[in-house]
Amino acid sequence: MNKVWQIARREFVATVFTKGFLIGLLIVPLIGVVLVTLGPRLFGDRERTVEGEIAVIDSTGVVLPHVRSVISARRSPMAVTELLERARAGDASDMVLNALGAATRLTLVERPAGADVEQEKLWINEPMPAAPHLALIVVHANAVEPTPGSSNLGSYDLYVPSRLDNRVEIAVQGVMREAIIDARADVRDLNRTELSLIMQVPRVRSTTVGADGERNTVFGLNIIIPAAFMGLLIMGVMFAGQGMLTTTVEEKSNRVIEVLLSAVSPMQLMGGKLLGHMGISLLAMSLYFAFGLVALTAFSLFGLLDVKLIFYLLIFYFIAFFTIGSLMMAIGSAANEMREAQQLLMPLMLAMMLPWILWWPIVQNPSSTLAVVVSFVPPINSFGMLLRIASAEPPPAWQVWLSIGFGVAGAFGALWVAAKIFRIGILMFGKAPDMKTLAAWVRAA
Amino acid sequence: MASTGTAIELQAVTKTFGSLTAVDRLDLTIARGALYGFIGPNGAGKTTAIRMIMSILLPDSGRLRVLGLPSALEAKDRIGYLPEERGLYRKMKVAPYLMFIAKLKGVAERGLKERVHSAIERIGLKGVEGKRCEELSKGMSQKIQILAAIVHEPDLLILDEPFSGLDPVSTRLLKDLILAEHRRGATVLFSTHVMPQAEEICEHVVMIHRGHKVLDDPVRAILRPHDSRALTFEPLDGHVDLGALNALPEVAGCIGANGHYEIALRDGVNATAAMRSVLGVVPASRIELKRRSLEDVFVSIAGTEGGSSGAATSGKAAA
Repeated sequence: MNKVWQIARREFVATVFTKGFLIGLLIVPLIGVVLVTLGPRLFGDRERTVEGEIAVIDSTGVVLPHVRSVISARRSPMAVTELLERARAGDASDMVLNALGAATRLTLVERPAGADVEQEKLWINEPMPAAPHLALIVVHANAVEPTPGSSNLGSYDLYVPSRLDNRVEIAVQGVMREAIIDARADVRDLNRTELSLIMQVPRVRSTTVGADGERNTVFGLNIIIPAAFMGLLIMGVMFAGQGMLTTTVEEKSNRVIEVLLSAVSPMQLMGGKLLGHMGISLLAMSLYFAFGLVALTAFSLFGLLDVKLIFYLLIFYFIAFFTIGSLMMAIGSAANEMREAQQLLMPLMLAMMLPWILWWPIVQNPSSTLAVVVSFVPPINSFGMLLRIASAEPPPAWQVWLSIGFGVAGAFGALWVAAKIFRIGILMFGKAPDMKTLAAWVRAA
Repeated sequence: MASTGTAIELQAVTKTFGSLTAVDRLDLTIARGALYGFIGPNGAGKTTAIRMIMSILLPDSGRLRVLGLPSALEAKDRIGYLPEERGLYRKMKVAPYLMFIAKLKGVAERGLKERVHSAIERIGLKGVEGKRCEELSKGMSQKIQILAAIVHEPDLLILDEPFSGLDPVSTRLLKDLILAEHRRGATVLFSTHVMPQAEEICEHVVMIHRGHKVLDDPVRAILRPHDSRALTFEPLDGHVDLGALNALPEVAGCIGANGHYEIALRDGVNATAAMRSVLGVVPASRIELKRRSLEDVFVSIAGTEGGSSGAATSGKAAA
């Protein structure tokens, strides 16, 4: 055991006390901080201006004046603010709000009501226009008042050039929507401002009532917490797995491996490396977890954290670590250089991508068949089950423990396979092994 | 097979890799305190045999005992090993690296630092303790690798091609270290291609060829036989009248090599009489019956298909 400890200690010291480790450890939270603080400034499009011409064929004869006045009003910041308020009250998406918030400098090209639509379409792609031709709009005859014998109102047809920015289209649609509603209100002799006020019901913030008291509901927390725990788990496992893979390839390529094997058995070496890198990733996870706790405390949300989740995080971490970490180390032992290791790693990396791909449907519906299946199949069951446990609809306890049982069995299986590959792989140099060779090593060892 | 008094015992040890039999029913007994050379051409199975002795590879069949124990795994702390393909942790500093290896070999922490520092000084590298291994020259790295094999003062020292790539100074140092370890009481087994070194250092030589043991004799026994049909001589003034020599009735031919000459005698010629005749033509500082070198033995076995017969032969038979 002392030798295993010595190997583990060296791995830990050689990794942790390096600039690379510190940079690697800090880079993720740093990116997070940068995205949160600078992201809106960097990626926001408030400065964007929607500028160009729109041609309108108004079959009703009453919409055009309103289009003109809406376009004119959109140039006023006050009107835009009001528009955004209205859109927010109507639960518009961020994308729509951004588009509406963009400054619009549209120029209206009025076409006669009986104009030939096919001919007018040519205007859209007219070469070298003075101002961009953004859209051709054909307002339906029943857009303002229903045709006799029908109660349905029509709308308009929108023709746009290819490769038009979505935000331009949203802005044009916003203009047309406002103009048609204004026209409808006008012909019915309704007060448009009053109508807007009537339609406004501001979104309220709910209050969560728990056994420990009341607090403002944090919107999206049921999604953020499972994602955060899964992210922490993946980060911890990959951190260790990548480290074991890299150091094993290095030890093999710089030929120090045989010196080590003269002092320890392959199993002691593998055990020591597993232990050392487990310590490294637990340290990294603890630091990230501490960052998370500080953030929760800063926003007075510490009470949201369920201690049970930390317990399950640890259990599933150990399962995932021994399953994926040992396989990554085995791959490292079989490869002569990192390029070969990356090729052998591909199937495992594809499996590791599944939690990223599936986390959203699992969190949205934690009891779906997909979520249940994912939470039982090693090596990704740890991620799937942790997502479900942290979700708003946790699974029954028997499922959690059954998943743990499957996970432990999977971990033992992975360790068994990894040990067999490791024992042969570390002394194999030359031709890069393929999956068939690895399978042969498992059978032979 | 008695294990008392023996450092290594192999009995019909076999190892195959797929269709290739790397080591075939190898028997070997090395007494404690002996100094053995393990020779053989490339691909003969030396490294595989050594790896099996070290329990890095497990034999397919046969029995193996190391330092009286059934596996080297149980005696790793008492064995020093220098593999053929050797390296260092590039980012580690020299002293911590040696201390790490020593601790893996079971050396107690107490006094270890002093031991490592004095060992580094002994090989003439004082001052490199705090350097990273990647900063060392190739020669320095090799010395540190050798030190890592002996830092724990092993009972058994196994060196796989220790002289490969060494400059003459490092070769001399390594030879001295090997002899010092031997004097300390360690059993030494080393494989090599450098025959003069094996001849100079070893008490006993084992040769394997194509997985079979083909020679297992004391060096003195191997080199003792002289060839009564050839003479070696060094001319007194460096000049030789080859025409006069070849004209002698006893001489079949004469060739020069490395400052001396080798004379092949005709069948049935008395060597003593031939010596007198030669000295009559060319004054010599040295003249003797040609002595067989280890290299001759090596080439005679490795250079013929007969070397793969599988039977261990005595030095005389192999000559």
